[in-house]
Amino acid sequence: MDQQPHEHQTEIFQRLGRITRQLHDALNELGYTPVLKGAVDELPDARSRLQYIARLTGDAAEKVLNRVDEAKAEQDAVRQHSQQLLDTIGAVPGLKWAMPELLEWSQKIQHGSERTDAHLTEIMLAQDFHDLTGQVIKKVVALAATIEEQLLQLLLESAAQAQSEAAPQPASLAAPAPAMRREQLAGPVVNPEGRTDVVTDQSQVDDLLASLGF
Amino acid sequence: MPELRFLIVDDFSTMRRIVRNLLKEIGHTDADEAEDGVVALHKLRNGKFDFVVSDINMPNMNGFELLTQIKADDKLKHLPVLMVTAEARKEDIIAAAQGGAAGYIVKPFTKATLEEKLANIFKKMGW
Repeated sequence: MDQQPHEHQTEIFQRLGRITRQLHDALNELGYTPVLKGAVDELPDARSRLQYIARLTGDAAEKVLNRVDEAKAEQDAVRQHSQQLLDTIGAVPGLKWAMPELLEWSQKIQHGSERTDAHLTEIMLAQDFHDLTGQVIKKVVALAATIEEQLLQLLLESAAQAQSEAAPQPASLAAPAPAMRREQLAGPVVNPEGRTDVVTDQSQVDDLLASLGF
Repeated sequence: MPELRFLIVDDFSTMRRIVRNLLKEIGHTDADEAEDGVVALHKLRNGKFDFVVSDINMPNMNGFELLTQIKADDKLKHLPVLMVTAEARKEDIIAAAQGGAAGYIVKPFTKATLEEKLANIFKKMGW
C-alpha cells in the first residue's frame, strides 16, 4: 500500500533522528563532542578571516586602479608633449638635419610612453584577481556558514536527545534550502585539470560556440 | 560608428571599473554601471542604452535572468548583451548563447579579446 507523503516524510525524519542519536553516541564514546563544539566555535572566526582577506584585497585593487588612472593621465600628457616637440622640430627649417638626435629622442619618448601605457593597461586588467578570488572566497564563506549551521544543529539535537528520549521534531532538522540559481553557478574554475565540462581559456569558448553555430 | 551608451553590470566594483576603463581606451566613453540584474533592468527600462556588458554570477538577479528579461522585453530585446564572466562551464556558455547573448568572454581576459568581441558584435549589428 502506498504511503502518504506526510507519513513518508515523518519516517525519514525519524530515521534521521536515529542516525543523529547514533552519531551523538559515537561522538560521546569517542570523546569527540568537545572537538565538534570547538570546530563550530572556530567557524565564525574562519569566515571573518576570509572576509577580511576579501576586503583587504579589494581595497588593494582599488588603490592600484586609482594609481593606474593617475599614471595613465600623466603618460598621456608625456605623449602629447613629445608629439608637440616632434611637431616643433619638424616646423623649424633645417633643425631635424642639424640636430637629428632631437628627433630621435622625441620619438623614443613617445614610443616609451605608449609602451608604459600598455603596461598600465595590463596592470589594470590584472586587478580582476579581486573579482575571481572574491567569488571563490564568497563560496567558501557560504560553505562554512552551512557547515557551521549543520554542526550546530547536530550539537543541539544531540544535547536535546541526551535530556529526553522524545522523537525529534521534523522542524528542528535543518532541511537543505532549495538551490537557488546563483548557488548552482560554479564560479571560477579552481582546478581545471582533467575536467571536460569546463573551458580554460577564451579560444575554447570561441571554438565551443562556433561548433554550435553561434 | 554612432556614439554608443554602455551599461556595465557586475557585482564587483573593481570589475566594473576595469571594463569601463577598457571601453574608454577602446574609444567608448559613455557608460553607466549596475551592481546586479535588478538595478540593470531598472536602468535599462528608464534610460537609453545601446549595449550591455554583463557578469553572470551576481546577487538578486544574475546575468542569465537579466538576459532572459532583456530578450523578453519588446523594448529591450534588440540590445546586444556581451557576457563577461568567470563561469567557465560549457553548459553555461551554451545556455548564454541559446538565451540570446551576443558574445561570451571568460575572465580573466585581455583588452584584445574585448576589442575583438565588440568588433564582431558591431559588425553583426551593422554599426
